[in-house]
Amino acid sequence: MSAQKNIRIDERVLSDNDHIAGQLRLRFAEQGTLVVNLISSPGSGKTSLLEATVRTLGKDFRTGSVVGDIATERDADRLRALGIPASQILTGGACHLDARLVKAALGRGGFEWLDFLFIENVGNLICPTAYDLGEDFKVALLSVAEGDDKPLKYPGIFSRAAVTIITKTDLLPHVSFDLDRVRAEIRALNPTGTILAASARSGDGIRDWCALLRDRLASKVSIASEVV
Amino acid sequence: MHEMSIAAEIQRIGRATVERHGDGRLDSVRVAVGELTAIEPRLLVYAWEALTRGGPDDGSRLEVEWRPALQFCAVCGENKTRGTGSWLRLCPDCGMPLRVEGGSDLDVLEVSFTPREREGG
Repeated sequence: MSAQKNIRIDERVLSDNDHIAGQLRLRFAEQGTLVVNLISSPGSGKTSLLEATVRTLGKDFRTGSVVGDIATERDADRLRALGIPASQILTGGACHLDARLVKAALGRGGFEWLDFLFIENVGNLICPTAYDLGEDFKVALLSVAEGDDKPLKYPGIFSRAAVTIITKTDLLPHVSFDLDRVRAEIRALNPTGTILAASARSGDGIRDWCALLRDRLASKVSIASEVV
Repeated sequence: MHEMSIAAEIQRIGRATVERHGDGRLDSVRVAVGELTAIEPRLLVYAWEALTRGGPDDGSRLEVEWRPALQFCAVCGENKTRGTGSWLRLCPDCGMPLRVEGGSDLDVLEVSFTPREREGG
């Protein structure tokens, strides 16, 4: 009978994912693409926000998107209708995207030399937060219809997202949602994060969101050119 | 329920480690799971059992070491550990930034296996 061997390794569980995310990040840096990972619960308005974003930025910038869902190409169809490359990842039950899935989706082509790549994660406030997709930053969406008690109930995403967007603000007169309370709770989790409020339907706040994206792209491209 | 995906990554690392050191039967994998990873140790062990059942690693154990996040407020001088929500970055009592230590671990620490008997050996 052989003796048991104990091998100490101290390896990160997600080392494989993080390695691929690192490759993607390098590629996006070379291409000068700003990559945003959008995370929220289902129905908080990720695709609607992207439609409004593409309509605003599409005239001056090349945009593309990768969207994750359990089933159907509905989200990708909506974005393709705007004339941008959109790749639908069907996870078949998995509750989040990982870097391997994103890399494979980009391999289908049409995503070279974009200014903005929007990765719309599977609708879920918990599981996607652990996975680095090579993005520049995460964006959390919280619609006013979901309730103002959510940041502290789902602290992981709100503490990790560089930007939180309160969406569907056109519904504020119809729902009980204390915007100041939500802002205070998000700040307590994430003191350095940016908090925006927007409505894809009315267009309120879309200009501020797009200005933030343009600023982040400009600083990414200028940093890249300094390195070169 | 991303514990299943996490368990699959742990199994991949466990198997690769066994193969790097020869070959054999995986007995156990010891992992560190931090409080801020949003991974539930109990569910992770269930996922491990479901994932390995009927395969070459059937019967192997996943041992989880829980790593809490420790929060300190320099102004109150208090350790806020777990009392008020481990994700808070501002002190709920005085509003000053909290110093947070640990809790983000998600590492495979040790892989234990029994080497296969060589044929005729």
